[in-house]
Amino acid sequence: MECSLKAGVADELVAGYTARTLDSQTETDFARHLGGCESCRELLARQQAVWSALDAWRPQELSPDFDQRLFQRIAEQEQTVWWRRLFQPRWAWAPALPVAAACAVLVAAFVLKDAWQTEAPSHSQPKARIEQQVVHALDDMDMLSQIGVDAVVERPGSPEKL
Amino acid sequence: MLRVREGDQTSFRLLLERHRGPVIHFVYRMVQNQAVAEELAQEVFLRVYRFRDNYEPTAKFTTWLFRIATHLALNWIRDKRHEKLQDSLDQETADGVTRQVPDRSRTVEQELVYRAKLREVRQAIESLPAKQRAAVMMHKYEELEYSQIANVLSCSESAVKSLLFRAYESLRGRLAHMA
Repeated sequence: MECSLKAGVADELVAGYTARTLDSQTETDFARHLGGCESCRELLARQQAVWSALDAWRPQELSPDFDQRLFQRIAEQEQTVWWRRLFQPRWAWAPALPVAAACAVLVAAFVLKDAWQTEAPSHSQPKARIEQQVVHALDDMDMLSQIGVDAVVERPGSPEKL
Repeated sequence: MLRVREGDQTSFRLLLERHRGPVIHFVYRMVQNQAVAEELAQEVFLRVYRFRDNYEPTAKFTTWLFRIATHLALNWIRDKRHEKLQDSLDQETADGVTRQVPDRSRTVEQELVYRAKLREVRQAIESLPAKQRAAVMMHKYEELEYSQIANVLSCSESAVKSLLFRAYESLRGRLAHMA
């Protein structure tokens, strides 16, 4: 007798029935179908044989130091400094880093040079001005002594020669 | 996982304790080499830890975890498909050391039959295409639903069913006589 189920449906029902993942109504309906369907019974028997064979492959024992090794690797990962991460190959822009660094150095050098040039006169200007004033004052005093005039500093009460 | 994301180390340990076994067993059955399986499983949990800040609870944590594990296992299989790195089945019987937990209740004869059966199962699984293998491992051993497997493999549920039924058909052809 031909199976009344559509192609693919029998596979799904057989897999679900074997894995016991069908809901109770579907399981009951399929169990009823199995009673009258030779091909589904045969398919189910073969699927159950596969299931039982796969059950024989039990998990292996885990290495006792698995956790220890994992936490050690996590600690190493945590210790990785940020700049080393930048140079790790997973960063797509890592090849541009040397160029960017060179540009940064050039810009910094340009800015510092410019700053030095603008700051240098600001330190030397008052000094030059004072020297100029001193020279002028000495010239003036020299000129006054030559023409016989004494410079007098007037103070309240008593005039005093310089 | 949300607590791990907030920096709770105890929660990470609990998470590891709960999921370490299933992840290692899944990866081992995929790559069939215990040392490689443990190495890949370490990488899975390292990635979970590294990307904890990016975790969004849009899917079940198990799905996210198995997606990482499957991705690593499939990549390893793709990269090493020309090398024979699987734990040798012959060596397993020749040196008298089984890598599985020995069942002391079995007689020597039963043990030999068991090993022969195990070898056949492993060879049958190994013969499956990698994606079918992953689907079967998640369906049979991890008991994930079709929707979860679909999420892990980034495909539709109907594609998962198709993968699974083709895989089971192949396995029935190779293993049904073991009933």
